[in-house]
Amino acid sequence: MRLTDLEQSMLDGKQGEAVREALAFQLEVGRFFGAERFVPITNAHLMGDIEVMGNAGLGLLRRLSDHHGHCAVSTSTNARCMHFGEIDELRQDIVEIEKEKEIVRHIKDMGAVATDTCINYQTVYQPKLGEHVAWGDTGTVIYANSVLGARTNYEGGMSSFAASLTARTPAYGFHLDANRRGTLHVNVKAQLGDTADWGALGKIIGHPNQDYFSVPVFHGIDEMPLSDHLKHLGASLASYGSMAMYHMVGVTPEAMTSAQAFSGRNPDHTIEVTNADIASVYSAYNYLEAQANIVVFSGPQLSIFEMQNIAKLFEGRHVATGMHVFVTTNHAVWSDAKRLGYVETLEKSGVKILQGVCFYILQRLTQIREENGWTNLISNSAKLVNTITAHRFNTILRKTHQCVDIACTGELT
Amino acid sequence: MSTKLQLKRAWGPTVEAPVLVMKEGFSPRYDLDRWTGVISRIGHTAEGQSIVGKILIIPTVKGGVAAGWAFYDLLHKGIAPLGLVFGKLNPVMVQGAILANIPIADGLDQESMLMLHSGQNVRFDPSNKTITIVNFL
Repeated sequence: MRLTDLEQSMLDGKQGEAVREALAFQLEVGRFFGAERFVPITNAHLMGDIEVMGNAGLGLLRRLSDHHGHCAVSTSTNARCMHFGEIDELRQDIVEIEKEKEIVRHIKDMGAVATDTCINYQTVYQPKLGEHVAWGDTGTVIYANSVLGARTNYEGGMSSFAASLTARTPAYGFHLDANRRGTLHVNVKAQLGDTADWGALGKIIGHPNQDYFSVPVFHGIDEMPLSDHLKHLGASLASYGSMAMYHMVGVTPEAMTSAQAFSGRNPDHTIEVTNADIASVYSAYNYLEAQANIVVFSGPQLSIFEMQNIAKLFEGRHVATGMHVFVTTNHAVWSDAKRLGYVETLEKSGVKILQGVCFYILQRLTQIREENGWTNLISNSAKLVNTITAHRFNTILRKTHQCVDIACTGELT
Repeated sequence: MSTKLQLKRAWGPTVEAPVLVMKEGFSPRYDLDRWTGVISRIGHTAEGQSIVGKILIIPTVKGGVAAGWAFYDLLHKGIAPLGLVFGKLNPVMVQGAILANIPIADGLDQESMLMLHSGQNVRFDPSNKTITIVNFL
């Protein structure tokens, strides 16, 4: 890789040990992918919680902190694995809670803003067309590349920290024009309404085409989708297909026309998606016999409009015996939802609201499932029903209003 | 008799170990019990198998940024895989493997993948971008 004088001085340790270590790590990653240079970034989004970092990751963070590592660009943080409030069903380890707090302390000391959110693109920072960033959450990455036209790869673990410390990232993958061209033609003939329908579309395309460098181009979307629709589509494509970008002709900024979306590349193949295909996603899930089940609205965290919608659906109703309902959102949305009365409505209905976390990354989740005897997990998030499976939930995708009906009647439909 | 299989991109030290061959994508967060090193996702083609000390053969990749930290964590818990060989991968796998000093490669084609069976010993040599089957089962 070609280094500028500044980058060479970073590698020589002249900008401190934390920066040296960060750049050396980035160089190895860049070389793997054949990057020729670094590209400056304006914003970083850090992913790191004790559930996935473990003691080893915490140790690394302590070392960066000891070496006075400091964010060189504006930096936010992803959802956490700990809900710091009291919730009966969620008994998390006290020792691990303290470690999570220590992680947050180190990150704040480095100069990051602890937003604890996986919807930074809705609530924190919206990079512009062509702006290079380094984001450490797949759902945020695919939204940035696709909907905003910004440029980022998945920057997992140390990678997002390194980018924040050096204010740059290796130029490979979605930083380069060549990789942003469409590879797959998707003809959507289905009517998509609920956010779960958009997640189902993401599963249909993502699951059989697992490839980070695959870029689906959606045609036939005749009604302008909302931010929450595109968020669930992207989160699902990223989850099932490991994809980091899509185009939607007439909707996303690098796809004003089909020709622009493909930019001269011929699509590998065409997939047609009909109403029947969407319906068959829902019908493929089967319930198991159970005494206790759980309905979860999470993955990604809910926007204020999603909070408003489910508050309306739960108003005047109550969670049925044997059912448990959780919602996750970030601190900013929670504060607004509190002010606007949505929190009160939901809590009166028996819904538990978790702040600054995402449900599937909760620390000690397998044990929490066992302690509560939860068997079926019903969600309107196609991503969540995929990502949570290591904890051996039986997962079911349903539309938002169906999730609320199931929660309030206990009837598994 | 030994057979050499070609890889596209590779990084890390040479290792020799038994392979665990998966028939689908793998994510440490979606599929693995990260306290035992056993594949725990219901219905995963390697459900119930341990990844500890194995070279994982993985055709495709799933979402998730967890691998960025997870391999480093597994290494310090003493339950890490010894190598990661993909058909297709994403950057998080590379970032996580480099952090944990676990050799990683991509570009193993489908034909080569069919020659590998769980339990075979292989030598994974990233500098030459090859996998050599040491013993056939």
